Amino acid sequence: MEWSVFFESWIWLGFASLGFAILFNVPLRTLWVIFLLGALGGTLKLVTMKMGGGIILGSFFGAMLVGFLSISAAHFRHAPPFVFAIPSVIPMVPGAFAYRTMLGIIKLTGDVDHATFTQLLDDTVTNGLKAFFVLMALALGVSAPMLLTRRESAKQIKVPLKIDGLIKK
Amino acid sequence: MEKLGLNLSKELSEILLEVGALLMASGANSSRIRITIMRIAKAYGFNAELLITHRALMVSVSDDEHDLFQSSLKRTSPHGANFRMVSGISRMSWRIVDEDWNFEQIWGEINRLKSLPHYPRLIVLSTVALAGASFCRLFGGGPVEMLVAFVATFIGLFVRQEVTRRNFNGYLCIFFASLASCLISGASVKLNVGTEPEYAFATSVLYLIPGIPLINSLSDLLDGNIMNGIVRGTNGLIIAFAIAFGMLCSILIYNI
Repeated sequence: MEWSVFFESWIWLGFASLGFAILFNVPLRTLWVIFLLGALGGTLKLVTMKMGGGIILGSFFGAMLVGFLSISAAHFRHAPPFVFAIPSVIPMVPGAFAYRTMLGIIKLTGDVDHATFTQLLDDTVTNGLKAFFVLMALALGVSAPMLLTRRESAKQIKVPLKIDGLIKK
Repeated sequence: MEKLGLNLSKELSEILLEVGALLMASGANSSRIRITIMRIAKAYGFNAELLITHRALMVSVSDDEHDLFQSSLKRTSPHGANFRMVSGISRMSWRIVDEDWNFEQIWGEINRLKSLPHYPRLIVLSTVALAGASFCRLFGGGPVEMLVAFVATFIGLFVRQEVTRRNFNGYLCIFFASLASCLISGASVKLNVGTEPEYAFATSVLYLIPGIPLINSLSDLLDGNIMNGIVRGTNGLIIAFAIAFGMLCSILIYNI
């Protein structure tokens, strides 16, 4: 296995999150945290996929890591966890699947012969289902900390003692 | 006394609606809007009930002591992600609870948040273009494809900002941007620049993906706000359609 590949993709995943963070106009103090979260979450997704977990499970684990880390980040960078979590998971959003589904649907309306139609329908349905389930996994993963701790706000979630000590300093 | 309480609840509901509308327009999900508004209302000892829809908000503020009841409605402005606003309002809501702010202070803070600057245009354009190049690398493109994706994203986003400023329909803006990006990256496919120009073509529109509507849609659905979830999801689908339509047009133009 080529593990060094992950280090390279780590950097690119970080930049991808950073681009979206700037597009969404996040506060300046949160930028480097978003770079880190996006890179870590994306790498976990890639590792899971390499281990044979598939894109849906990979996205779920990646988003869950981002979700939990965003709670700690919210405590020590003073912004809602969602400000960190959304730009970080955006690179994992199945954008390519979503527009390929749309492209497929548009092409299906054209005059195509039976064999091409079946092939096209096959691809379109696969892309569409993947896009939907990946999105579901992302949303579930990001909100997992809130759902599991049954709190309404990240302020009420105690971060582990070690990190807490770091904030107090 | 009765008059004073009425004025109080009237002004409070105005603030609540302003805060809710700003959150909705900046890309917060429904449960965050509800929690923030409840928190502010509770800080002043009022009960608030809220109806959240995509384009309008309705709040009913009531007070146990005075038997007062104030309902009001507000339209929300068109959506555009602005997390600095969401973060600022969230901090403000906690400070209202902790520091007993009066209404003038809240209005002052809201106006301050509204006047906060966005990132400089050149920085936005170049970092988003860098993100496009990163996507291209992650899909497996080489340096030449990354450069194509960079330029296509840069110009596409520039086109989107320009048409948005001219108040075109939101979906039409995305169509124009997608078309511009695909015309540039499609040219590299047509002229066979680099080894795998298809990667640049596929990744040059990724900056347009409706990430916030789709994620908010699913998190609203999980939260039980089914209506809002469906509305946001439909919005995301139409954006995906606009992107695909722009791609399709450039595919037809270049015949690739």
